[in-house]
Amino acid sequence: MASLISCPHCGTRPKEEFFIRGDANPVRPAPMATDEAWNDYVHLRVNPRGRIREHWQHVAGCRRWLVVERDNFTHEVFAVTDAAKAGEGAR
Amino acid sequence: MAYDYQAVHALDGMIGAIAERRANHLSVHRTMAIAMVLAGPGQTAEAAGILVSNGEFEARFSGPGEWLVLSQVHAPETLAAELSVRLGGFAFVVDQSHGRVVLTLSGPDAARILANGIAVDLHADAFPVGRAANVLCNHLSLNLVRTGDQSFDLVVMRSFAGALVDDLKVMARSHDLSVDFATR
Ligand SMILES: [Zn+2]
Repeated sequence: MASLISCPHCGTRPKEEFFIRGDANPVRPAPMATDEAWNDYVHLRVNPRGRIREHWQHVAGCRRWLVVERDNFTHEVFAVTDAAKAGEGAR
Repeated sequence: MAYDYQAVHALDGMIGAIAERRANHLSVHRTMAIAMVLAGPGQTAEAAGILVSNGEFEARFSGPGEWLVLSQVHAPETLAAELSVRLGGFAFVVDQSHGRVVLTLSGPDAARILANGIAVDLHADAFPVGRAANVLCNHLSLNLVRTGDQSFDLVVMRSFAGALVDDLKVMARSHDLSVDFATR
């Protein structure tokens, strides 16, 4: 687990300050999309090894949702972006 | 029907006053006017401009477009109203005077004591006077600001104040620390 995350608003912080929601890649389907599309979005996740994008919330800091790009094998962190800036609608 | 409400400080009767003042001192403020300000969408710059510290109140960074505003001049009842008038449609204001507790830790070991529970670089070069941040202290989230070379203000949610004071006493176990209400 990457233990230091550089929040774009608060600076470098320990991972204990964050809540991890999970994969940031699935895109929310339209409200009337098929049950299959919703099932995929809600339940199905790939489980890759390597570079991943996740939603992290800086709960003990600025409380903003962030997109963390990191390698779950080497623990390297590539980028941390505010979710709003990353073009995401996460709340 | 009218009720008489009585304001009771969250730490009343919970901190044994240590009359003798030691090298490091934790001072608990009894009355401090506090408000939370959240800028409207896209109006962070306008709100920040109005909140520039002016001796009447002090705005501390809490998050993007979000500040904790403290005032020694205003009464808790008037700060939020005053800020609402000044900020107009640029921001939302919520009174937090009775929702948060303000503590001042000062002394030559202040930064070392805090470093025992806060994983943020508190060296004066990295965290200079005036810098504010929401940080995790052990398991509690609080707003920390450096108010001087050897002094910090901690603002914590009311119901966590007792636990925070206990934590700070443990963090300061190898340093001399006294705790009391501020006399002002
Ligand atoms: Zn942050």
